[in-house]
Amino acid sequence: MDNEACASVEKELDRVVTKLEQLHENSAAEIGDIASLMSELVNVLGNAEQMVVTTLNTGTQINATNTSSTDDPMGDGINMQVETEPSAPQRLTDRQMEIIREAISKCNERVQKLSTEHRELHGSVSKIGKAIDRNYSSDFSSTMRVDALQDEDNLMLLNKAIAKHYCRQGMDEVARTLIKECKMSDDHAQDVFDSEREFAEIYSIWNQIQKRELGDALDWAVRHSSQLLERHSLIEFRLHRMRFMQLVSYGLKSQNEAILYARTNFQKFAVRYEHEIANLMASFIYLPGGLENTPYKIFLSQDMWTELSFTFLKDACQLLGISKNSALSVVVNAGCTALPALLNIKQVMQSRQVLGMWNGCDELPIEIDLQPEFRFHSIFACPILRQQTTEDNPPKKLTCGHVISNDALHKLSNGHILKCPYCPVEQNAEEAVRIYF
Amino acid sequence: MSEIKALEHATLKVPYEILNKRFRSAQKIIDREVDQVTNVSRQVEKALDDDQPPMLSDVSKLMGNVAQKLQVLKRKADESITDELSVTQICKRKLEHLKGIMPQSRSSGEVCQGSVDQWKRIRLDRLVIEHLLRMGYYETAEELASRSDVRHLTNLDIFQTSREVEDDLANHSTTKCVLWCIDNKSKLRKINSTIEFSLRVQEFIELVRQNQRYEAVKHSRRYFPAYEKTQLDEICHVMALLAYPADTQLEHCKKYMDPKRWEQLVLDFRHENYRLFQLSSTSVFSAAVQAGLSALKTPQCYSQTCRNLNCPVCQEDLNRIALKLPYSHCVQSRLICRVTGLPLNEHNQPMMLPNGQIYGQQALRKITKEDGTTTCPVTNVKFTKPKIEKVFIM
Repeated sequence: MDNEACASVEKELDRVVTKLEQLHENSAAEIGDIASLMSELVNVLGNAEQMVVTTLNTGTQINATNTSSTDDPMGDGINMQVETEPSAPQRLTDRQMEIIREAISKCNERVQKLSTEHRELHGSVSKIGKAIDRNYSSDFSSTMRVDALQDEDNLMLLNKAIAKHYCRQGMDEVARTLIKECKMSDDHAQDVFDSEREFAEIYSIWNQIQKRELGDALDWAVRHSSQLLERHSLIEFRLHRMRFMQLVSYGLKSQNEAILYARTNFQKFAVRYEHEIANLMASFIYLPGGLENTPYKIFLSQDMWTELSFTFLKDACQLLGISKNSALSVVVNAGCTALPALLNIKQVMQSRQVLGMWNGCDELPIEIDLQPEFRFHSIFACPILRQQTTEDNPPKKLTCGHVISNDALHKLSNGHILKCPYCPVEQNAEEAVRIYF
Repeated sequence: MSEIKALEHATLKVPYEILNKRFRSAQKIIDREVDQVTNVSRQVEKALDDDQPPMLSDVSKLMGNVAQKLQVLKRKADESITDELSVTQICKRKLEHLKGIMPQSRSSGEVCQGSVDQWKRIRLDRLVIEHLLRMGYYETAEELASRSDVRHLTNLDIFQTSREVEDDLANHSTTKCVLWCIDNKSKLRKINSTIEFSLRVQEFIELVRQNQRYEAVKHSRRYFPAYEKTQLDEICHVMALLAYPADTQLEHCKKYMDPKRWEQLVLDFRHENYRLFQLSSTSVFSAAVQAGLSALKTPQCYSQTCRNLNCPVCQEDLNRIALKLPYSHCVQSRLICRVTGLPLNEHNQPMMLPNGQIYGQQALRKITKEDGTTTCPVTNVKFTKPKIEKVFIM
C-alpha cells in the first residue's frame, strides 16, 4: 500500500520530469537555432552596409554577396544583393525583405511555441499535487482530543526528552544548542547530561561499526566475552569473522595478517563454529583475484555491516540491561503506528455518526497493535466483559485457577455459588482471590 | 491506512508547492521574454510593411535587437527550466526516502530489521527537526540536520525564509514580511489571508505612535481602500486612533498600541506560512508523541509499585506530559512478568504467590533460594516453601 502511494506520485513526477527535460532540450535547440539565424542575418546586413560604405567611398559598383550563405540554417541561401545608388541611402530589396519576414515569422512561431508548451505543463504539475492529496492524508491533528503540548511546562519537558535522546546518541552539541535556544533551566539541563552516559559508549561503537571500523567493538566484545557466552550471543564471533573477512578482502598483501588473525582469534570458537570457520578459511583460494565474484562477496556488502551493527546494539544493550531505544524514539515510533489506526477508526466513526463515543471515555477507542518489545506492563482484560481491569474492578482468581474481573464474577454468581465459565468447577464466589500482575 | 500515507503528506506537499511556485514564476519569466521578442520582431515587420522598402541600416539595427532578445530568452528559459528540474529532484529524493520503509524483499531477518530501524531513526530526526523549526529553535534544527545528514529530507529551506521574516518582525520591522506577501500574493489571496492587512495596520499604528499623523493618513489612503470590502469595521477602529494620543487609556485603542501586537504578528505569520504550504497547524511530531504516549500509557505507569524503567511513560518527564492523555485500550490480555520482562504464556506460565502476586515460572526459579524460601520482589514478603498456584489466563 505504501509502495502504491509512492508509486502513483512518482509516476506523475516522472512524467513532469520527462516533459521538462524534453522542453529543456527542444527549447535550447530551437531557440538556439533561431537565435543563430538571426545573428547571422544581422551579420549579413552589417556586411552589406559595410560594403555600401566602401563602395560609396571608392565609387566602384560591387555586388555584396554573402559568402556564408551555404550553411545558412534557413536552407535557401540569403543572397544579399545590394544595389547601390551612390547618392541615396540603402534600401532593402524585395528578396531581402522576404527572407527577413520569413525569419521573423519563424522566430515568433518558435517563441510562442515555447511559451505554450511550458504552459501546457501546468496540468501535469498539478496532477502531482492531486496525487499527493489523494494518497496521503493531510489531517492527523483531529486524532487528538486534548493537546497536551499546548502547555508551556509540557513543551519544556518535551524539549528535555529531545535533548536526552540526542545526548544518548553522542550528539551532545545538538542537546546543548537546544538547551540554550529554548532557555532550559539549569537543573533540567544537568539531568539531561547525567541520564544517558551509560549508553554513549555503546552508541559510539555502533557508529564505528557502521563506518566499518571494528577496533573498539572487538575490544568491547573481548572484555565482555564470558557474559556474552552466557547469553548465547553470537556477536563476538561475528565481529571476529567480519574483521577476518575485511583482512582477506585487502588481497594478497594482508594474507599473512589474515592467517595470523585466524590463528589468534578463531581458536576459542573452534567447537561451536567448526564448519563456519572451515568455510571462512576457504576464502584464501580466491585471494589473488579479489572477492568480488566469489561466494564471499556478501561480506563486502553494506547489508552485512548494517546487520552486524544492529546485532551489536541489541546484544550490548541486553547485556547492560538498558533499553536500546531512547524513550523518545519508542514513543514516536509507537505514535507513528498508532496514528494511522486512529485516523482509520475516526473515519469509520464519522461515517457511522458515532463520533460522540470518541470523547466519551478516558481510553483510546481501539487497541494499538504495538510490537512486543514496546509492551512494558501487564494488562489484564477480563475475558467475559472485554474490559481492562482497574482498581475498582480488579482481576480475581477463581479456585480453579481461571482469572476474571470482579464485576464479571458478581454478574456470573448466583448467590454465593459460582460456576466457572471455562471449566465445570462450581465454587463459592467468596473464595476468589484478588491478584496482582 | 499505513504510516506513510497518514504521516508524510507534508514531506511531499511542501516540495510540490515549491515546484508549483517555480513553475508559475518560470512561466511568467518565459512569457515576459517572449513578449520582448515579439515586440521587437513586430517593429521589424512594421518597418518591412512600410510603403517604401526600409533602410538597410534601420533593419539591421532592429534585427540586432531581435537577436539580442532571443539570446536573453534562451538564457532565461534555460535557467528557469533548470530551476524547475532541480526542485523535481528534491521531490524525487524524498520519495526515494519514503520508499525505504519497505526494504527490498531479498534481505531478511536482522538485515531487514536493521534497515527499518535505520529508516525510523532518520524519520525521527526529520520529525524532530520539523518540530524544532515550528518552535522557532532554528539553530538546533540546523545543527541536527547537518549532524545527522538529513537536510535534503527536511523543509529547512522554507523555514529559513520564515526565520528571516520572523526576526525582522521581532525587530518591529515589516519590510521582509511585506516582501514575502508580495512574493506569495496570488496564493495568499486564494487562502483568504489577511496577513498583509495586519501588516499595513501595524505600519499605520507605528506612524501614529511616532506622532506622524499626516503620514499615517497618507499611508491609510494608500493601502486601506483595497480592504474596504472585507475589513471595513477594523479600518474604522484603526482610523479612530488618529483622534487619541498615543498613550491613550481607552480599551479598544490600547489593544492596538500594545507592542505585544508585534508578537501576535509573528504567530500570525507562522500560521499563514503553514497554510501556504498546506502544513497542518500541529506538527506530525507532536501528534505522534501524544498518540504514542497514549498507546503506551497504562494505569500501572501511575502506580508507585508497578513502574518499569524501560517504559517511556514511567519516566518522570514523559509521565507528566501524558497525565491528561487517554490510556491505551486493550481487549486481549497481555501479561509481562515483572521480574524478567518476558511475556507470560504457555512457555512461561503465570504463577501466583500466596499474596496474590503473579510471576512467571522462570522468574520464580530465580527468586526462590535453595533453602526453599521465596521473597516476593514487589512486596518484599518472605515465604518459606510457599504454595504456588497456577493461574489460567484466557
